[in-house]
Amino acid sequence: MLSLSDLTLTESGVPHLAGISLAFRPGLTTLLGRTGAGKTTLLRAIAGLAQPTGQIRFNGEDWSRLAPWQRPVAMVTQQFINYPHLNVLDNLAFPLMRRGEAKAAARETARDMLGRVGLSQMASRRPSELSGGQQQRVAIARALVKGAPILLLDEPFVNLDYNLREGMREELSALLQASGTTVIYASTDPREALRMGDQVVLMAEGRALQSGAPRAVFAAPETLDAARVVNDPPVNLLGAAVSDTTLVLDHLGPAPRDLLPPLPPGRYTLALRAEDIRQGGSLMTRVALTEVSGSETVTHLDAGGQPLVMLERQVAEHALGSSLVVTPDFKAALIYGPDGRLIAKGGRNG
Amino acid sequence: MAEIRLETLAHRYSPGGTYALKPLDMIWRSGGTYALLGPSGCGKSTMLNIISGLIRPSEGRVLFDGQDVTAFDTGRRRIAQVFQVPVIYRSMTVGQNLGFPLVCQGVPAAHRRKRVEAIAERLGLTGALNRPANALTADQKQLVSLGRGLVRDDVAAILLDEPLTVIDPQQKFELRRILKEINAEFGVTMVLVTHDQTEAMTFAEEVIVMNTGEVVQAGSPRDLFERPLTRHVGSFIGAPAMNFLPATAQGGAAVVPGTGLSMPLPEGAGSALSLGFRPEHARLATADAILSGTVTRLWFEGLDEIIAIRHPAGEIRLRAPAGTGLVPGDTAGIALDPGRLRLYLDDRLMA
Amino acid sequence: MKTLYLALKYLAVTLWSAFVIFPFLWMLSTSFKTSNAVTGGATWLPWAQFEPSLAGWKSLFGGAGGINIVKPYINSVIVTGSASVIALVLGTLAAYGLSRFTFRAGPLRNGDITFFFISQRIMPPIVLAIPFFLMLRWLGLLDSLAGLILVYVAALMPIAVWVMVDFFNTIPRALDEMAWMDGCTPVTTFFRVILPNVLPGLVVAGMFCLIFGWNDFFFAFTLTFTETQLLPVSIVALNSSVTPWWSLSAAAIVSVAPLAVLAFVVERFLAKGGLAGAVR
Repeated sequence: MLSLSDLTLTESGVPHLAGISLAFRPGLTTLLGRTGAGKTTLLRAIAGLAQPTGQIRFNGEDWSRLAPWQRPVAMVTQQFINYPHLNVLDNLAFPLMRRGEAKAAARETARDMLGRVGLSQMASRRPSELSGGQQQRVAIARALVKGAPILLLDEPFVNLDYNLREGMREELSALLQASGTTVIYASTDPREALRMGDQVVLMAEGRALQSGAPRAVFAAPETLDAARVVNDPPVNLLGAAVSDTTLVLDHLGPAPRDLLPPLPPGRYTLALRAEDIRQGGSLMTRVALTEVSGSETVTHLDAGGQPLVMLERQVAEHALGSSLVVTPDFKAALIYGPDGRLIAKGGRNG
Repeated sequence: MAEIRLETLAHRYSPGGTYALKPLDMIWRSGGTYALLGPSGCGKSTMLNIISGLIRPSEGRVLFDGQDVTAFDTGRRRIAQVFQVPVIYRSMTVGQNLGFPLVCQGVPAAHRRKRVEAIAERLGLTGALNRPANALTADQKQLVSLGRGLVRDDVAAILLDEPLTVIDPQQKFELRRILKEINAEFGVTMVLVTHDQTEAMTFAEEVIVMNTGEVVQAGSPRDLFERPLTRHVGSFIGAPAMNFLPATAQGGAAVVPGTGLSMPLPEGAGSALSLGFRPEHARLATADAILSGTVTRLWFEGLDEIIAIRHPAGEIRLRAPAGTGLVPGDTAGIALDPGRLRLYLDDRLMA
Repeated sequence: MKTLYLALKYLAVTLWSAFVIFPFLWMLSTSFKTSNAVTGGATWLPWAQFEPSLAGWKSLFGGAGGINIVKPYINSVIVTGSASVIALVLGTLAAYGLSRFTFRAGPLRNGDITFFFISQRIMPPIVLAIPFFLMLRWLGLLDSLAGLILVYVAALMPIAVWVMVDFFNTIPRALDEMAWMDGCTPVTTFFRVILPNVLPGLVVAGMFCLIFGWNDFFFAFTLTFTETQLLPVSIVALNSSVTPWWSLSAAAIVSVAPLAVLAFVVERFLAKGGLAGAVR
């Protein structure tokens, strides 16, 4: 098990890591957060390429004093980086030979791995002669061939064509299945992160907001920040003032008190997913943007200054600027207190 | 603000070589939104560069509002271009960046300031006008690139070359919204080049799917999704890809053996038949299931789940709202509206 | 139109080639002439226009009216060769350090340090001549091969550093980091990963060092007397009241030959793809 405790790194006033404590088990954990959330720095800290304060332990062993080349870690980054002066086969054999394996044996293992990523034909080419997707496959194969117990993947597919990306995700899962490797995969895409991870860690501003199984994390983001990070399309956030008898939504005005469970008086924020805004009802909105993607329609609405995002599981054409009546399904709302922490959960997703 | 017409346009990088762009005719209406979609090397960038004037086509003509601009260089075409990586003048402030094209044109300072302020307000950059452009986030830099194109008031078209690649998913919504609003407000023709089908489908009223230098299909996102002309388009558009199952001809119908999938077969259609349907169009069912199989894998995507089902005829994928409760090993049946089924002969759509 | 353009292009190339090659041909033919043939007007073809003679060549090896250039030649090879190698090794290491690590000396940063190296070449050499002379005298190395090598290392290293810093900067740090991940220490990373990728740079820097070192006249002239003569100095020493064009030409050919051969070989190497395979 890889455990991090209180990792902190501040560079010229910017907190890249702000007291991160996490434990990673074998299997695939995704780090989900926007650009600049600290994902890359965290991976670099584990690899030894960034030096935060705090402690990194792997199976009980303290890594704080280990140089990068002493840590049993493999890493793949966004850019396709391979050794330009070696052919594809030797790119894979190189790490094995550095570890003391004989050239012939290393090349044998390398050849085997090349076959598994479907690049046997390219063995004697230089990396620069390959396409982007192939180069990245070489980089991934080189990381895998070492059989390192820890594999760090920093948005490894982001520079690839869309369909290639889809294929590579599945390829990677297949290669890693039952390997016992601890894989940490950084992503900015909520769908990808939820889909690939056995575990998911939500990150923002150098902090780990929440971690757990994708379904659990998605169903109940513990903070408003977490709710923002985990949702795509964006989550709807509605400010509300609650007293014993009244409920007033910031832009939408008074609403029946019984929409929400009993709560002590105060200010709350309701988080509603895009699919919990439905067409029909009584709330007048103006269409700001409609995006149809095959079978789904995401519509951005303006309800008297309150932006709303609505997801429909069908193709719907709403003209820009036209009016639309919708109903927020408040029963599904997640309710966050003034400190931004989750205090009550709607009915859906149990 | 210009109609773009491509007449028997084609391009070869060397005379007698292979076509980087095969001959095509196309009309893009003034004020429309279009997307060129395809994998890298499909010819979409060549096409964009021909429109912007960076490449002189080896055959055919480019017309803006009926005027032949084939021989015009980029500067004379009144084109604004936004690239994958934000192009900004790092030494200037946001305001200076936005005003620079006008400085080059010799526009008086007073008028320049008015234009810059108007554009900045439109893009939500008013507060950042005096900040160094270099200090902005990636999506704001992209807005500055866009603003530099919009600041001249005679822009004919905006060409967007994978402008959202470096932007986080959540911020893409914002940028796309601004683009659409600008399109509606200024009536400027927009052409987006992308390899990301979601981006193309959400942005454009017409998507032009390209592969190996050829236009495979051009149509509305809905058309592409519901009636892909080739199996390639079916696989390229949509995530997961369209399901295709091999079919055989049985008594005037194409049938997938072992399932209830069947479509009437037109006269004379021979071998290499397949039936296809979208993972989004199938639903889980027990009573009216037309085929059932074993669940092999599940992917949780938040609001949705993707379910892979194994059937002797092949693997089928299905997109369903999350919360199905299925686990690998379960038996699951699917139902399908027959109107959603498509018949392909030799990889081409028949019905 | 196209044909005309092509014709003009070839014409330009031909003229330029003639312009470049002519001095060499002139040198070659002159080296086989005698005094009479040189002063008797422009002649080109041996036997037909003038009677070729080996006098010029003989004078280079202790023949009549000449001096033996064999020893200065060997001296030049030793001094230029070893100074270039030392400058290249030290300069490459320094350049790697400057490219990869952050140094601070008071207000000075990496860029300033790199500039400091290059600034050595901004001054006219005469500024350095006296300090060098004094230092070598103090070390007892005046008029010796070792002293010259020392001075040439100092003069050539800035070139090596300057060229190599640029080459190292084109190699992304991510490549170093990847090698670390693969178990290389910084030292193995340098030798097994970085160095193979700057081979073209090494060749370029080496060529510069050899050319500058080989052609230097000034230091060779001011820091030696009689014991240790280098080639440029002895060629100049051929000069007397009557300019011996024939032996000067022969000496010039001999002195240009090694660099010409080297340039030819290196050009082949670079064209063959010593540069291939950069990181994306």
